[in-house]
Amino acid sequence: MYQFSLRAISTYFEPLPYAIAMTLWLSLQTIVLSTIVGIVGALCRRSDSLLLRFLGGAYVEVLRNIPLLVVIYLVFFGLAQIGIRVDNFNSALIALTLNAGAYMTEIFRGGLIAIPRGQYLAALSQGMTKLQLYRYVVLPQVVRVIYAPLGNLFIGIIIGSSLSAVIGVEELANWMFYVGNESFRYMESFLIAGLVYVGLAQSVNIGRIVTGRALMRAPGAR
Amino acid sequence: MNPHVAQYWLVFLKGAGITLWISWLALILGGLIGAVIGLARTSRWRVLEAAALVYTEVFRSIPPLILFFGCFYGVSYAINLDLSPFGAATIALTAVASAFMSEVVRAGIESVGRGQWEAAQSSGMRYWQIQRYVVWPQAIRVMLPPSVGVYISTLKDSSLASVIGYLELTKSGMLIRETTGVSFDVFLIVATLYFVINYSISLGGAALERRFWFVH
Repeated sequence: MYQFSLRAISTYFEPLPYAIAMTLWLSLQTIVLSTIVGIVGALCRRSDSLLLRFLGGAYVEVLRNIPLLVVIYLVFFGLAQIGIRVDNFNSALIALTLNAGAYMTEIFRGGLIAIPRGQYLAALSQGMTKLQLYRYVVLPQVVRVIYAPLGNLFIGIIIGSSLSAVIGVEELANWMFYVGNESFRYMESFLIAGLVYVGLAQSVNIGRIVTGRALMRAPGAR
Repeated sequence: MNPHVAQYWLVFLKGAGITLWISWLALILGGLIGAVIGLARTSRWRVLEAAALVYTEVFRSIPPLILFFGCFYGVSYAINLDLSPFGAATIALTAVASAFMSEVVRAGIESVGRGQWEAAQSSGMRYWQIQRYVVWPQAIRVMLPPSVGVYISTLKDSSLASVIGYLELTKSGMLIRETTGVSFDVFLIVATLYFVINYSISLGGAALERRFWFVH
């Protein structure tokens, strides 16, 4: 009969904070890089050049329809074969950024679409510079549209970072595999890792709700 | 194209077939469970609503990779039930799909205005009659487009079944890679197959949506 016991894996708790930090570090870097990719991608999709629009659209469609795991393998094993050596952490980071960047592109595009063309013209005819136009007219409205899907994507990135375990990045999911295989305490390691992931994801979720309340104070409030 | 890889074309296609099959199964099962959870989310009983919310949030915030691991290794050790990779993968995928489908169902039900509920109630209809004759015929239209999205994300998540040794498309690619020693070509083929399948589904979904919209 199987006895559930957390004490059985207590010796493995020491590297756990390090594993959680690794998950957060990878996720944070992905968030920063994919935001840049997303802004560039959204500007491409809204540009006047047909080629840029096509490239932006193709990037989004391709990356949204391929599993992240396959992208990770393609970067980690595939690039090595054609002579580009990337270590496992950076492979995971590149793959995650490519994947999340596609979703970011769509989120920013949705934010830009939400602003009617007339507002740009109105602002410019008021004598605003391009910078003022974005700072006072576009951005405040875009933020309101994108904060909710952005929160969901942040959760998606944290969850997606778990796949880096398969190429040996020592983060939370990797910790779980390691503890399970060493101690045969699969259920315990699964529950601990699962709990931490739920905690991380729900922190983002609650943060998103709080941000939303702050943003929705009053129309026009900054 | 590397000739060593090309001779395995049938293995690739078989893997793609298995991927399609298991995600379809998980979508159907997830749709059924999701419908129950989604109904609970719109319930007037706070306890039921809260329980359904916890279910949805938990399965949305646990990485699918971890769920596969928990279902395959965790369960078999904990209750001495020897799950096959297929069984474990189906359970894990269904759990994820049901969480997403419950959100789709909830949004569909809530898209039907409160006024219609009250009108149906005041004309003497019971809860199930209202669901059956008033809410669902309208809600199903709202649910359809996002369901296509859930199918695609389930298809992508099914790639994680390769980690527990289930021979779907990604695992087939891994095996061919080990046999031929060629990585880039193999994963390019795997990625292309996923793209073709998913892109076709999303195009089909868009066509379906247009047809559905004009049926009045």
